[in-house]
Amino acid sequence: MDIFILQKESVPDFLSSLSADYAVWAPIQKDGDTFFEPMPDSRNTSPDLTRQAKIIKQTIFPQTEPLYSYDQNDQIQAPDFEDIKQTALFGVRPCDARSLTLLDPVFAGDIPDPYYQSRRNKALLIGMACTEPFANCFCTSVGGSPCGQEGLDLLCLDLGDRYLVSVLTEKGKGLSDAASSLFTKASAEDMKQGQELSQKAEQSIKRHIDLTGVTDTLGKIFEHPVWKKMTLKCIGCGICTYTCPTCYCFDIQDEPMAKKKGRRVRVWDSCMYKEYTLHASGHNPRPTRVERLKNRIYHKFKFNVDTHGAFGCVGCGRCITLCPVNEDIIENLLDVKGAA
Amino acid sequence: MSVQKLKEEAARALGRKDVKYLIGYKKGSYGFRVSPAFIEPKEDIDQLIMSPLCNMSLVKYVMLEEALPSLTEQEKKPSKIAIVARGCDSRAINLLIEEKGVPREKLYIIGVSCAGAIDQRKIEARFPRVTEPAEVTEENGNYIITVNGQVHTVPKEELLAELCKLCRYPTPVIYDKLIGDKLPTKPFHYDEIKAFEALPLEERFAFWQQQFTKCIRCYACRNVCPLCYSTICSLDSLSPQWLRRSVDTSENFMFQIIRTFHLAGRCIGCGECERVCPMNLPLMKLNRKLAQDAKLLFNYDSGTDPKTKPLLTTFHTEDPQGFIL
Repeated sequence: MDIFILQKESVPDFLSSLSADYAVWAPIQKDGDTFFEPMPDSRNTSPDLTRQAKIIKQTIFPQTEPLYSYDQNDQIQAPDFEDIKQTALFGVRPCDARSLTLLDPVFAGDIPDPYYQSRRNKALLIGMACTEPFANCFCTSVGGSPCGQEGLDLLCLDLGDRYLVSVLTEKGKGLSDAASSLFTKASAEDMKQGQELSQKAEQSIKRHIDLTGVTDTLGKIFEHPVWKKMTLKCIGCGICTYTCPTCYCFDIQDEPMAKKKGRRVRVWDSCMYKEYTLHASGHNPRPTRVERLKNRIYHKFKFNVDTHGAFGCVGCGRCITLCPVNEDIIENLLDVKGAA
Repeated sequence: MSVQKLKEEAARALGRKDVKYLIGYKKGSYGFRVSPAFIEPKEDIDQLIMSPLCNMSLVKYVMLEEALPSLTEQEKKPSKIAIVARGCDSRAINLLIEEKGVPREKLYIIGVSCAGAIDQRKIEARFPRVTEPAEVTEENGNYIITVNGQVHTVPKEELLAELCKLCRYPTPVIYDKLIGDKLPTKPFHYDEIKAFEALPLEERFAFWQQQFTKCIRCYACRNVCPLCYSTICSLDSLSPQWLRRSVDTSENFMFQIIRTFHLAGRCIGCGECERVCPMNLPLMKLNRKLAQDAKLLFNYDSGTDPKTKPLLTTFHTEDPQGFIL
């Protein structure tokens, strides 16, 4: 597919050309942190491209999603999926884009999930290559790359005053065609510079782990004492799962509303919570933090491999950076390997 | 403060017959992070560290300990946990003892005089993308920071956690052994709370509304709090369900109000809730308001003396009653 140049000063024009047909989401600075949110005004906002605290997963699979509402006369009202607007996500990190390709098979299943599907099919992903990876990025150890293209429609690579834009899908081609006046053909020089930057980015990933055989090892060490050692410092909060781009567990709850109505909602759940596996009888098959942390590692590095043929982790490093007590998934995996 | 001294005391503690393990700090897995260390007798004490990077409270681990399956098994095992405690941590321990959350005999406290800890966000903003283990020492009001073999000097003021600037009890108030010199207790002041209270109601409400909209309800603020140790927490209760699982501004308000009120007259001001919040919510603004009220209305400073009773379990006829309808 084509490779173009988009001048940085043309980005607001590009985004506002998108906003005619799309709701544009981008990383936005708020109180010193970056949030992935709908852009209030593409002309006045210069998207910040640091790693986002709230992840793009929420645009497709929101933390709280009303499934339908009901009243006492058994009148049920489901959302109209036609109403969902096309969304363009700008400034998506390659690891986050890749995470959606891992969520897709989960929500495709025998009966595709219409809530997820309707948003996913209407989302357009414009990536921003990680030319400067973060301290805990380890995407290259789980099959990704800081300049990876998986799951993206367009990928921008920062060349200083301009972006090198790779068109990756038909959808992406539609975009660049529609704003063709802003895109110019990339020169051989630009492409060479892009290639060098990609290589440099990949080399600047500092955290690595060789995961060969880890799935097999996990099959053998379920009762190993290493799990207890690993869990000593875990405090059982939900940061690692709620900031994880590949975690998808949810709970379904009925909530009473005003005027004798109610609604059924889907909300994110976390395997780190006691409530997650609590039975109605009061029995809990995962009674302590040991079983819960173990489940998180097993799900990502064994169950997901068994079911969907890939690690359930894109190496974004958020769970490491944001963990209050330095529970580090790379160290956990090293412990697993050590227990083999 | 000498790390050597700490290691000696740790070795002495672990040599005691009644201590089962020690909780201290060790180097973390990357950059400026430190990690809790759980060391059993005869395990390596050399991994222990104490530096301005030790910014987390270890007291929570005393309350998180999983009970052993049978009483006989419990009797056989040595009972004490040795713990490294800074000034704020010792106040938390004090309050736990006052509240009968943990018996004094269960703890062997190695107190450490603390000159304040570094704010992780500040140092990572100053030295971004540091993966290799870094070291920090304090010298004459400066932090000497070694990153990738290069030495940097940064004024302490620039990296010190904001809350540590307000710390009143840098020296532990309860301990079995104290390491480091006794530092003076600092005066009480809540200027930033008074300034916030002076704002119009609408403005304060809008502020919290904006903050709580960001909350993702990971409950890290609750889980990390050394004083949140209910075995059945109202936030987890399913029947009745006090708090909806829906995450929106209204439910988030409810969550934070429950969390804050449970710390009324209790919060000892370690700031763990604020430190761990992935959304960077200024939670100590709420906690410090309550601490200010406890001080101004009842002249009560939580956790400063294990012999006093918790504020909300006492009544004196001279207590102010102006807020009773």
